[in-house]
Amino acid sequence: MKNRLFVLCLTGWLSLAGRALAETPPVVAIKNARIVTVSGPVIAKGTVVIRNGLIEAVGDSVQEPADAWVINGEGLTVYPGLIDALSTWGLPGAQSQTASPSGRRGFVPEDPAPAPTPAPPGRPTTLTTPSAPPARGPEDRPYNTSFLLAADQLDPADRRLESARGAGFTGAVCFPNRGIFAGQGAVINLAGQRAGSMVVQSPAGLYLTLRGGGSFGGGFPGSLMGVIAYIRQIYLDADHYQKAKELYAASPLGNKRPDYDKTLEGVLAAPRVLMPAQDPKEIARMLRFAGELKLKAVLYGVHEGYRAADILSKYDAAVLVNLRWPEKSRDADPEAEDSFRMLELRDKAPSTPAALAKAGVKFAFYLGGLDRSSDIARSVRRSLDAGLPQAAAVRALTLGPAEIFGVADRLGSIEKGKIANLIVTSGELFQEKTEVKYVFVDGVKFEPSPEAPPALTEVSR
Amino acid sequence: MKLLCFILAVPAVVWAAPPVVVQNATVITVTRGAFKGSILVKDGKIAEVGEKVLVPPGAQVIDAGGQYVMPGIIDAHSHIAADSINEGSVSVSSMVGIEDVLDPEDVGIYRALAGGVTTANILHGSANSIGGKCQVIKMRWGQDAEGILFEGAKPGIKFALGENPKRQGMPSGVGRRSQGTPDNLRYPGTRMGVEDVIRQAFNEAKQYQQAWKEYREKSARGEKVIPPPRDLKLEPLVEALEGKRLVHAHCYRADEILMLLRVADEFGFKIKTLQHVLEGYKVAKEIAAHGAGASTFSDWWAYKVEAYDAIPYNAAIMLKKGVLVSLNSDSGELMRRLNTEAAKTMKYGGLTENEALSLITINPARQLDLDNRIGSIETGKDADLVIYDKHPLSSYAKVLKVLIDGQVYFDRDKDLSERDKRRLEKNRLLEKEKQQQQQQKKQGPRRPAA
Amino acid sequence: MRALSLFWLAAALSAGADDTFLIRGAVIHPVSGPSIENASLLVQDGKIADIGLKIVVAKGIKVIEGKGLHVYPGMIDSATEVGMSEIGSVRETADVSELGDFKPQLRAAIAVNPSSEHIPVIRANGITAAMALPGGGVIAGQASLMYLDGWTWEEMTMRRDAAMVLSFPAINTFSFSFTEGVVRGSYTDAKRNYDRRMKQLREYFESARRYQKAKAAGGPGFKTDLALEAMLPVLEGKVPLMVSAVRERAIRDALAWAEKERVRIVLTGVRKPGNTLADLKAKNIPVICGPTQALPMEEDDSYDAAFSLPAELHRAGVKFAFGSFGNQFSRNLPYQAATAVAFGLPYEEALKSVTLYPAQIWGVDQIMGSIDKGKSADLMITDGDPLEVKTQLKRLFIRGREVDLESRHTKLYKKYLARP
Repeated sequence: MKNRLFVLCLTGWLSLAGRALAETPPVVAIKNARIVTVSGPVIAKGTVVIRNGLIEAVGDSVQEPADAWVINGEGLTVYPGLIDALSTWGLPGAQSQTASPSGRRGFVPEDPAPAPTPAPPGRPTTLTTPSAPPARGPEDRPYNTSFLLAADQLDPADRRLESARGAGFTGAVCFPNRGIFAGQGAVINLAGQRAGSMVVQSPAGLYLTLRGGGSFGGGFPGSLMGVIAYIRQIYLDADHYQKAKELYAASPLGNKRPDYDKTLEGVLAAPRVLMPAQDPKEIARMLRFAGELKLKAVLYGVHEGYRAADILSKYDAAVLVNLRWPEKSRDADPEAEDSFRMLELRDKAPSTPAALAKAGVKFAFYLGGLDRSSDIARSVRRSLDAGLPQAAAVRALTLGPAEIFGVADRLGSIEKGKIANLIVTSGELFQEKTEVKYVFVDGVKFEPSPEAPPALTEVSR
Repeated sequence: MKLLCFILAVPAVVWAAPPVVVQNATVITVTRGAFKGSILVKDGKIAEVGEKVLVPPGAQVIDAGGQYVMPGIIDAHSHIAADSINEGSVSVSSMVGIEDVLDPEDVGIYRALAGGVTTANILHGSANSIGGKCQVIKMRWGQDAEGILFEGAKPGIKFALGENPKRQGMPSGVGRRSQGTPDNLRYPGTRMGVEDVIRQAFNEAKQYQQAWKEYREKSARGEKVIPPPRDLKLEPLVEALEGKRLVHAHCYRADEILMLLRVADEFGFKIKTLQHVLEGYKVAKEIAAHGAGASTFSDWWAYKVEAYDAIPYNAAIMLKKGVLVSLNSDSGELMRRLNTEAAKTMKYGGLTENEALSLITINPARQLDLDNRIGSIETGKDADLVIYDKHPLSSYAKVLKVLIDGQVYFDRDKDLSERDKRRLEKNRLLEKEKQQQQQQKKQGPRRPAA
Repeated sequence: MRALSLFWLAAALSAGADDTFLIRGAVIHPVSGPSIENASLLVQDGKIADIGLKIVVAKGIKVIEGKGLHVYPGMIDSATEVGMSEIGSVRETADVSELGDFKPQLRAAIAVNPSSEHIPVIRANGITAAMALPGGGVIAGQASLMYLDGWTWEEMTMRRDAAMVLSFPAINTFSFSFTEGVVRGSYTDAKRNYDRRMKQLREYFESARRYQKAKAAGGPGFKTDLALEAMLPVLEGKVPLMVSAVRERAIRDALAWAEKERVRIVLTGVRKPGNTLADLKAKNIPVICGPTQALPMEEDDSYDAAFSLPAELHRAGVKFAFGSFGNQFSRNLPYQAATAVAFGLPYEEALKSVTLYPAQIWGVDQIMGSIDKGKSADLMITDGDPLEVKTQLKRLFIRGREVDLESRHTKLYKKYLARP
């Protein structure tokens, strides 16, 4: 096992873009560094040892092994690699990840045309079949590609992976995001020789949106309540499907064989469900809905979570907070005044994480389409300014998402035996001047090139 | 808006509130005449009504200053406080429901309150022959979606007849998103088709009902069977068949009204109310015989062909012919002045003051099967009260205070006095944002997302 | 004076006209002055001949017993589509919006169908005259002031070109989406669009002025242009522009533009005048209010923003009248005014803003708008305050002729009330 991993690491860099260091040896020790373990206390000065892609040791009295490649961490800080908790990195065909209900009415019509007949797996971008008639109801399974696995769609050549690493990200939870039952996410590492080697956990959860056919003439569902009714019917159908399958498996003789339904298979396979919710109304709505359907729900968006910490806490909900805070349009009418509600939202959205932390709500951050490391840092700083402790912010990008997606036993903190996803920085994370010096993914070292532009999408090649 | 919530928010636990006495008022009970006196409210309910009422110690006293108190207005047809109204994609959309998309922060709730409305039936739109499920709410401004539900209200469902549900079946229907093509035309396109859709749906519902009956019987006999698949579209129709869900049907023309009554007779269920029912006056006898209520507009007409025979005497004729009549708004604006809408029935058709007021209080309460809770000022009923500065049927009457469950949810004086404060708070936020933007400019612009 | 009355009366009787009569013992509300209890009003040849506590008339004159009743001038609705649109949703019955952006030559009066079922319905609530407005484009055409009685549109026409309707360009970044409610778009785009339309408007007025000069010069090459010809009374200040402007910025822009173009304007559609009220007062620009029974425009606006706007205009000294902006609810014109009273407008002002003020704004106060000697006998006899909903209209006179209060509604009422 160790050998195979080692080989993977070594061969991994060859096919990767530019900055994977060809000479990454199987054993690395970062010594005399400040170590933010996240799971335990900060080690003011200590050593982390990486062997064959795993963390072999961490502590203030750890000796570097003789065979280790040693990095002098004097003046540097080691963190667990950052994780974007809701992403499309590695899925070049997916829509850009600003995914959250945008309009006040919380309903976004799917664009362009409705997709009553799901596309075959593996081709998520050709979801729509323009000539197909509009869906007549839940039985047509519109916008249901719950069977799509992000893990099957990964492309290690996605150009965004490199710039993501440059910003300190070593992992992400990626989801197909088209349709209502968009598909199953995967926890991935942001490097790997092949798609398969990037996957840490799959499926990681089913991504739901509230998009529909856009009302009149667009097929079912055409409204927010239609989408909700549709989701409810799908879960009832899935429940019945399972019962029917079990009954048939127990006694096939003399019983009718239930039809295979891949859209329900996907629904049944999901360990958790991601649901959009922005404000207290939507948060309460989705929490109650999830409760009704007995789903393990993870809410995403949650910009007005500062007003909903109590209900989130009551339901013991997990939350993904969009780091792309709402902002005034740059092309706004100078004489038009936004509503009090809107102004307050823009003012207070960054205080959501602090409110959640204070109420003990499990949360993680996602980037929501932010694509420059300086913007990401600035967004996090706004939540720090609004009262979020630095440690909680780090956690929301490391162990927080790992816990929410059930991979805290292998990712998210600097602990012995965990996957060696680490970053080494020049100082405290999110500070303006702080630079990411080294990035380790599965123990493979990457060095963000200093001359590279900070934008995640602007990759110099 | 948020500030409003903050200002007017009231504790959710009504029974913890001290008793309230509304005194020195002209009390219009609707069911038991009008008199000068007081109302005692305990635990959110009307505990005593009379010319003299003992004020319990610790009671909150509201002096009506000789002005008018009437029961909270009930709007039997509204579309406020919901994030979506029409699931227009299908002709039978009974699987959807307003309860799923309530918006307790819709400022329309506050505005309705300011017009004396305390309860409203929030209906699905009229795009389909059988529409979605309705939800009765109280205007408990400041509470969440659960808090505004009218607890214990019987569920309802919307039907729609005539021009609206057949519009998408017309090749060039008014209001269609695009010209109809054979591909995107939606059945039905005629009133015959509307009847057919309803009959087909109930035929299906009966079979569904039967399937479940058989399952329960087999199950009771100990047979190992799985239940039939649940169908959210058919369940509400079965409930309607079983009298557990009230049918509120949007309709205009006499022919379609009669059609629906006969379809209901055929399948053995009742139409609880006919909504709009602008030609109800032509078939008032048949409506009364079926036992359906009618909820109409005071004076809308001529905005479409099926409204060309609408007359403002509709309510009066139907009432005189034995139909249980109410007036509704179907509009977040009109909702705020249903009192003067009621007054129009005195002008058109000569109803008495009390008859007129009953159209917006006790009658809609009966139409929602909630007359044991609301609709009049009687001991034991919910303390949903409106204080007007003039007789509520006067054009000049203005709502001063509104109580729901005995708590003040609207107070005009308070609203007026808070306006400056709201403005200042808003200015502060505007200024803050402006400064932030200037600061950001100094730090360099953020590249817009790809 | 009395002798003169008697003389007129005799002349009228001999002619057998039915537009000569006496209303006796009623409360008369001239609107232009204080109400007079137990008074009489003499109508002669369709005009108001005398008002007084005692009027001596010749024997045989038609006398209307007014005991317990009230006499008011007929009301004027300053914005309707009366007769121009029968059923809103049926294109074939609507003649309100013509194609094109600039069409000042269009005349609303000729599209007013005297047989419209709306006319008897509207006047049965005491409305005796109404502005019929064309719509669509930038300059929609000429609005006509119509009497709500007459066998032909010609007979109904009080003033064919009472106003020129102009939809003033505005920078509007709001739009309504069925699924998302109100959404805001790009300011840059909206501004660009506005600049383009303002340029068109300026150029149109410029070409009208050139036409005016060319016509005055009367050169051999001069050719009549019907559209620009229709602009001349506007340029000469004889016909006011009825300019729709909703918000502060649009109002400000419209005022500045009107001053520059030296044209007379009447504002309509005003909802959020902001700080422009003092300017409106100073420049003596009247406003057509309505609908007053409307929702606030923005979430943060006071719930009664539309209800209290007329009172606000009144406090600022701005002259205004009410319009119903449609057909369906034109009969509810008095209730628009009443709502304004509930929210602070003095009652007398409300009454004037549906009678005398519109007459003044449309330049016909010499003829209608109040009960004064010499004015047209446009009268309603009621059992009470016409702004109160429950008040019943008993009789109605337009130009002295009694008008039938029957309508499609009353006919259907009687027919179906009698259904066995």
